[in-house]
Amino acid sequence: MELDELKSQLKNKLASDHAGRSDTDIAVLLNRRTNSVIGKLKRSLLKEILLSSGIVILFSVIGLFSNHPSLKIYFSVFAVICGVLILPLIYIFRRTTRLSSTASPVKSNLQTIVSIMEYMIKRYFQFTMALIPVCFIFSLLLISNDGKVSQRFAKGDFSANWKVITIATVYALALFVGTYYFTKWYLRKMYGKYVLQLKECINELSEE
Amino acid sequence: MASEKEFISLLNQHQKIVYKVCNLYMDAHSDREDLFQEITLQAWKAYANFRGDAKFSTWLYRVALNTAITFFRKEKRKPDIYSTDSIPDHSEDTYDPIEEQVKAMYAAIGHLSKIDKAIVMLYLEDYSYIEIGEMMGITANNVAVKMNRIKIKLKEETQKESAHF
Repeated sequence: MELDELKSQLKNKLASDHAGRSDTDIAVLLNRRTNSVIGKLKRSLLKEILLSSGIVILFSVIGLFSNHPSLKIYFSVFAVICGVLILPLIYIFRRTTRLSSTASPVKSNLQTIVSIMEYMIKRYFQFTMALIPVCFIFSLLLISNDGKVSQRFAKGDFSANWKVITIATVYALALFVGTYYFTKWYLRKMYGKYVLQLKECINELSEE
Repeated sequence: MASEKEFISLLNQHQKIVYKVCNLYMDAHSDREDLFQEITLQAWKAYANFRGDAKFSTWLYRVALNTAITFFRKEKRKPDIYSTDSIPDHSEDTYDPIEEQVKAMYAAIGHLSKIDKAIVMLYLEDYSYIEIGEMMGITANNVAVKMNRIKIKLKEETQKESAHF
């Protein structure tokens, strides 16, 4: 039998499993938390914005009032980096808020969600990778500036330059490779599968 | 600010729409409950921007379908295998060929993709291809092409399902 011949029966069947809710039941639902990926994303963005703002304030205070020049530079630079990170976070947060308050057509809704998530994944990855050279260079600068640490290196097993260079290179490579693959894996685990499924829906809608 | 009372009353009048979408997209009862909650919340968030250009029912379909398509079941639960068993069957024990065909068609719709399910749902609600296109964000022509393909797919699936019953 064809779909059209069973139209009314199907409509009834679809509506049959229907317990019915009162106004009070619906009012209770309005105060619950959303479980959608976008809702979760919004909540985590808000947390990250607040956390980054806290870090900027704390690191700025340490940077301004510390007596050690190396700590001053280290915390000031990280305060600036976290400050810069807040801007894209606010941008994504505003876009997700706008998205959840409109009822756009299915295709454009999907495209907006995918573009928000891809933007966030890209920025998150860029930020994590940009931190590696910054952390590495700062750790070297701090060691070379701190007389006590340099002396300890000179007295110990790392008296020869080649040993220090080898250890530093191996450490830098391990840090870079480890962070690169871990971040990729983490982002794919968190959002990758979801983005792929949404993209499949967009492709299906675009097919003629 | 949008009135909560007004929204609740409107949603209550149209809650069948939300139930239909939940029944179509989710098999397990708990998943349907989760989706119902999610659709209600999303509709409430978007209600402030509902200007009444379209009918409330059309607007609610749009919100409900958007939510259902982007909603994914919690991983812990058993796989979402679509079955007609979870739908209450009010038919008597006697064999009813039409009822069996409805069951088979219902199960076949359950095997469609999320996008195809949305198109079928709106088609069953007698929306025109133009209206379906507007809601889905595609052209009416594209809706017609997709609907033809879906009908063929459903016919094939139904024949397989009928052999089962």
